[in-house]
Amino acid sequence: MKGAPTAAAAGPAGLRQFLVRFPFLPALCILIVLLALNGIFEPRSLSFRSLTGIVSTYLALMMLAVAQTYVVYAGDIDLSVGAIVSLVNVAIVALLQQMGGGGLTVLAVLGIGLAVGLACGIVNGLVVAWLRLQAIVATFATSILFTGLALWIMPVAGTPAPAAVWRTYGGRILEIPFVFWAVAALALVLAILARTRLTTQLLAVGDDAVRAYQSGLPVTRIRIRGYALCGVFAALAAFCVTGDTASGDPLVGAKMTLSSVAAVVLGGCALSGGVGTVTGSVLAAVIIGLINSLVYFVGTPSEWQNLVQGLAIIVALMAGVLVTRWARS
Amino acid sequence: MSAVDLQGGAGPGGRVLAIVTQPLVVATLLIVGLLVLGEAISPGFASAQQILRLLIVAALLGIVAAGQNLVILGGREGIDLSVGGVVSLSAIVAGNLMNGQDGGIVPAILACLATGAFFGLLNGIGVTLLRIPPLVMTLGMLGVLQGLLVVIRQGIPSGLAAPALSEFVTRPFLFGLPGIIWLWVAIGLVMAFMLKRTVFGHRIYAIGANEQAAYMAGVPVRRMRIALFMLSGAFASVAGICLLGYSGSSFANVGEQYMLPSIIAVVFGGTPLSGGKGGYTGTMAGAILLVILQSILTTVNIDESGRQIVFGMTLLVLLLFYGRGRAMRA
Amino acid sequence: MAKLELRGVGKAYGATVALRQGDLEIEAGEVHALIGANGSGKSTLCKIVAGSVRPDRGEVLIDGRAVTVRGPEATGALGIGIFYQELSLARHRTVAENISLPRLPRKGGIFVDRAAMAAIADRHIALFAGVAGAGFGADVPVERLRPDQAQLVEIMKTLASEAAILIFDEPTSALDRAQAERFFEILRERKRAGVGIIFISHRMDEIFAIADRVTVIRDGETVGTARIEDTDPTAVINLMVGRHEAASADAPPDTGGEDGRASQSAAQAVLAVRGFSGPGFRDIGFAVAPGEILGFGGLHGQGQSAVLRAIFGALPGASGEIRLNGDALQPTGPRATIARGCAYISGDRSRDGVIHERPILENVTPIHFLRNRLGLAHPARLRDKAAPALEALKTKFAGFGHPVSSLSGGNQQKVVIARWLIDRPAVILLDDPTKGIDLSAKADLFALIRDLADEGIGIVLYSSEDAELLANADRILVFNGGRVTRVLSGAERTRHNLYRAAYEAA
Repeated sequence: MKGAPTAAAAGPAGLRQFLVRFPFLPALCILIVLLALNGIFEPRSLSFRSLTGIVSTYLALMMLAVAQTYVVYAGDIDLSVGAIVSLVNVAIVALLQQMGGGGLTVLAVLGIGLAVGLACGIVNGLVVAWLRLQAIVATFATSILFTGLALWIMPVAGTPAPAAVWRTYGGRILEIPFVFWAVAALALVLAILARTRLTTQLLAVGDDAVRAYQSGLPVTRIRIRGYALCGVFAALAAFCVTGDTASGDPLVGAKMTLSSVAAVVLGGCALSGGVGTVTGSVLAAVIIGLINSLVYFVGTPSEWQNLVQGLAIIVALMAGVLVTRWARS
Repeated sequence: MSAVDLQGGAGPGGRVLAIVTQPLVVATLLIVGLLVLGEAISPGFASAQQILRLLIVAALLGIVAAGQNLVILGGREGIDLSVGGVVSLSAIVAGNLMNGQDGGIVPAILACLATGAFFGLLNGIGVTLLRIPPLVMTLGMLGVLQGLLVVIRQGIPSGLAAPALSEFVTRPFLFGLPGIIWLWVAIGLVMAFMLKRTVFGHRIYAIGANEQAAYMAGVPVRRMRIALFMLSGAFASVAGICLLGYSGSSFANVGEQYMLPSIIAVVFGGTPLSGGKGGYTGTMAGAILLVILQSILTTVNIDESGRQIVFGMTLLVLLLFYGRGRAMRA
Repeated sequence: MAKLELRGVGKAYGATVALRQGDLEIEAGEVHALIGANGSGKSTLCKIVAGSVRPDRGEVLIDGRAVTVRGPEATGALGIGIFYQELSLARHRTVAENISLPRLPRKGGIFVDRAAMAAIADRHIALFAGVAGAGFGADVPVERLRPDQAQLVEIMKTLASEAAILIFDEPTSALDRAQAERFFEILRERKRAGVGIIFISHRMDEIFAIADRVTVIRDGETVGTARIEDTDPTAVINLMVGRHEAASADAPPDTGGEDGRASQSAAQAVLAVRGFSGPGFRDIGFAVAPGEILGFGGLHGQGQSAVLRAIFGALPGASGEIRLNGDALQPTGPRATIARGCAYISGDRSRDGVIHERPILENVTPIHFLRNRLGLAHPARLRDKAAPALEALKTKFAGFGHPVSSLSGGNQQKVVIARWLIDRPAVILLDDPTKGIDLSAKADLFALIRDLADEGIGIVLYSSEDAELLANADRILVFNGGRVTRVLSGAERTRHNLYRAAYEAA
């Protein structure tokens, strides 16, 4: 997040340009409003402790939103991200259960988890970009495949993760909660990725794949790399899920797929590709978390919570799309 | 055999040939092949009884896919992810209005159609007037519908299907086929007639193939698109009612299982997600194909994981037959 | 030895032959013009060299060695740079990113070298310093640029390839005079540096100003090459159209004396427009008399197209008075104006006209449905209605059930035009209707338009081709900067007057 909102003072035209340059601004505004509302209805919700709780719970969705973003950059979509999360989750839990929870072992297993995510991403990339199947249906098919593999590894939920995993995830390093270190590391990685050729190439492909191809870009390879990157971040999301839930569950990610798509749109990405920022997607994942916590703090009866969340998210989605379009008109 | 009958019913006499597009042929061959395979693996799989059961399940999916098909044909990345929510919602609404009484059927049907059309209207307004991408709009609507379901389930019992409705769906009605099959055939005929022989149908293809050109030729693009989403909601609600009749009572999120399969059925039927070409006859075959495939996998003696793996792989292989994108290099 | 040589290159898409026989030789240090009617295969030929189209047969040789261009990715190594007629820019990326997109300068293996990219951009933007216009800069997203500026970016991107073979497929279509002049200076410079250049343009004056040699391509075949000093425009046109058709190619302006029809009062006009203003045009007024073809002329993009679209109701934000046969017309949208008998034919048929991949019957009937408020589509009855309209345009098609995409560009446009003729319109607005169609289709179209005018249908014709306008319009309003700056009628309708009015400062 760079640049202070000084240009906003230059009237609608200035504001528009500013929004075009920083498409995550609407998401940021919604985030600030939500934080304020959370604080008003329940001052304790802004305590360090409860913010840590929100981040712990929603770090996985942040990672998954980032994963989805790289695919959406190129105008593709990945409906298998949730299944990848499930697969990596059960894979690492099963491996840890067999190999014990020693420090080096955990790292090795996480390495394997990343490799599994990467492999899933490459499969998606090959199927969509190389075989040229329609992304929505093809990644739905691979999600069934990945879910099947997850069920093969662990037919039922409930295998616990070694204590080292959730103690680290829920613990502190130098008095700062681990999840904040993770967020900082994520920010650093995203900043690095934003400067790579791949990011620019993905966005150019999303802009118009035929033109990018005619410009001499290796479009198929670039799209496969986008899916591969998506798989890696889905694996990271699986690590967070594992740390947060401390167990393996072959269906844990299923509900997260559509949330990741919602987060990406809410964060200012165009599903048609070529427009967006990972910053926006991360912010949007937090927004989804804050909406859920706000609905709770406002005192919504439990049976109404899902509906209010659903309404709030659809309104936020519409607002995001409308503001972005206004900026580009 | 019944699959072939269905096709024959799609258009009168010699025009059948014109309607049978290539994906339809592929799907039909696959259906026959899978039936033979199923019979080989587990004798009795292709018995009349079994096929009838498969057709009922396929009809439920096929009715949802009818609306999905229309929205997709209309182009501009048309897709309706909210159909699953509408199916669940109308199953509940219908179950409560009937409450096991035949007298409640008509009000239930009317209420469900209105509900489905209403949510379709909201989707359509979001997509056309606010110009929200359909995937986003209907995804958001799905969230709202799921929330609504939770609210409704708390307040009211799950409801019971009227006996006549259950009979309509599960018992033979005419020539040994239950009413739902006839309903599906009728929907198939109406859809084929609408797409081929009405101005409305021609306009669906026009906005799907080139929205700007359609607008310049005086097609009311927005009204059309809203109508398509309303029809999608209405078809989903019809499927919800039938589903209630099939299972006797409604239970949580019964409709969710139809969301992505309805899209796959459309694609298997030869309508690409980009819209503008294809039709419903193929989608009917696509729905039957999908249901038979799932059924074979449950017949085979492997565990859930193996079933899913094989299903996923098979879907990928089948998708290779359909709607592959164009190569960049001409 | 030639820098680039094509021998017997051919490409067919199914039954449609895009390029039959392409033979071409480009020397190092020459500008080689390629000219031919639209659809004659120029772009296909260029795309084969650039690797984005795979040839069915034939050879491509660079420096005498046969090469296989595996795809656009391979052109960098082979030293080929291409300007795509439809542009190859990423709209949301900046000018600088677009210029370097084919080969983003890298740093540390995976990162974009922003400094190097900025330097490349600055160097190329400097080439067009002073003519690029306001709002142009390295950091501006391409979507914010005017069409001419976007075209400049595509030129810069092509130049930045630093390739020894440069291909420009209609690079000047949106440029103004100063920009085009500057571009030609740059081309001459590159030529001196030994670059071999293929240059495609429809403008004869440009070809004779910049090219060393010219090759004519007709019906997918390269039919002849000449040194520019050994030929003249007439000879080139004769070659383009084939000898037997040459006579009818560019009919001399009809300066005949039947100008009585131009002077009727607005009262009996078919279409009368007064004080009409909107996005891109101000205070437009004119009247079209029955039987008259009113021409809109001037440089491209001076508001002619906007006026026509606004009258048709497809361009919101216009105000003023429009009368159709004396009654007020509110252009609230195409539906409203079509119902009143307005017809609008766009030159951008791919965007505004053709309903892609649908059957010809569906492409020819939508207006008929609307004007007769039909609900059912009876194929046999519709075929009977559509056949005469298609016949009047001499449309060649195999059957109503065939997809419109199976037709040539000219025949597709005829199908689109035919949809307006099933029910007689009151007025026909032609917005550069012959863009990208072949000469015989043009001839068929204008013959029909004259007949329609004689039947009393009001006709407004905007054409970007001056010859077409001079040959067919009874009166010409010259547009400049969104206003009508001159009206040419009768004997005033000369190329000279048209040019002078068009290039005068508004």
